[in-house]
Amino acid sequence: MNKSEITLLCASPRRNGTSAILLERVRAVTGGEVISLPQRGPLEELILAMQKSETIVISGPCYINTYPARLIELLETASLAGGFTGQKLYGIINGGMPYMHTHHHGLACLQLFAEQNNLSWQGGFVLGVGAMLDGKPLEKHLNHKKVVPAFDQFVKHIEAGIPSPDSLFEQAQPAPGKLVTRIFARLLTFMVVKNLKKHGHDPNAPGFYLQEQD
Amino acid sequence: MVLEEALLPLGCQLVRFAANTLDIKPCTGCSSCSGKTYGRCVIPDDMRQVVRKITECQALVLLSPVVFGGVSHHIKKVMDRIAVLGDPRYRMKDGELVKGIHVPSIRYYMIGVGDKLNEAEQRTFLSLHEENRKIMDVKGKAFILESGLDKGSLEKIAKEISHE
Repeated sequence: MNKSEITLLCASPRRNGTSAILLERVRAVTGGEVISLPQRGPLEELILAMQKSETIVISGPCYINTYPARLIELLETASLAGGFTGQKLYGIINGGMPYMHTHHHGLACLQLFAEQNNLSWQGGFVLGVGAMLDGKPLEKHLNHKKVVPAFDQFVKHIEAGIPSPDSLFEQAQPAPGKLVTRIFARLLTFMVVKNLKKHGHDPNAPGFYLQEQD
Repeated sequence: MVLEEALLPLGCQLVRFAANTLDIKPCTGCSSCSGKTYGRCVIPDDMRQVVRKITECQALVLLSPVVFGGVSHHIKKVMDRIAVLGDPRYRMKDGELVKGIHVPSIRYYMIGVGDKLNEAEQRTFLSLHEENRKIMDVKGKAFILESGLDKGSLEKIAKEISHE
């Protein structure tokens, strides 16, 4: 794939987080350059680069069950600008929860953007428990034995320019059972509470803004 | 405004913010609100005022045009920053992990405005609310509003929101 043919857009405000690491894994196969979504200022230059590409891959974190606001702003601005001519669009979204449905809205949103703006939606990849990676390689993922080959297959689909089905990430990341969920809840809460106590906070205290009302 | 007119006769006290007129910066994902400055956002902008008001309310209603099956970026900035009210601890509900919110009694509503929305747009919008509601473990509902919606339908939505 020629470098100028692909735009690899990291939609995370964090430059070296999981979204960037996943996109770097794509770049290693497809070539091209990873562009970070500017968190302020005009977006026209980036939209021009998207319009000139044959393929666009967007990777971002899941904030409140979908992509962050700044990416939505980019999509709104790009939609107003128009000028897309069938560009292939792939999406990657990663979040903390282990469920695909928790994060899937991001991909559905990109699909609707593509359908309404003359781009060609090619599918995406949802990565659960992605926040725990915190910028570490995918091989460190809790479920790396299934997730790594599935993600690498997704990258091959991008390289070949063919659609990638949801079943690829869904089958690699089945929802954990009740016992695992219970253990997961305790383990994660233990880590959260430990971190809060390290910073001198009482995890059982009412939130900061509620305390202000007292 | 029309929705406000339907809510006021039901005895609701309303606090209205227009997200596109406020200085609300995007969440930076710094995680400070779930660690170093637990429960408090470090970004000094109008969101502090909005969050304070939310903690005093019985219901939060997010009203937005339906944009690609979600909300506008103005409302999404608010949603992203509401994470500061989230409880970072995990627990299990209905067999799945949830996190909860520091205002557990609040009811959460989303109203999507749009004409001639197709089935996928409507389904995707409703699914976003449902996922939000589940992870925050709160009650609430989402509605789709067409600009020409009759008064009776608006009053029905207002009644649900006012929890009459």
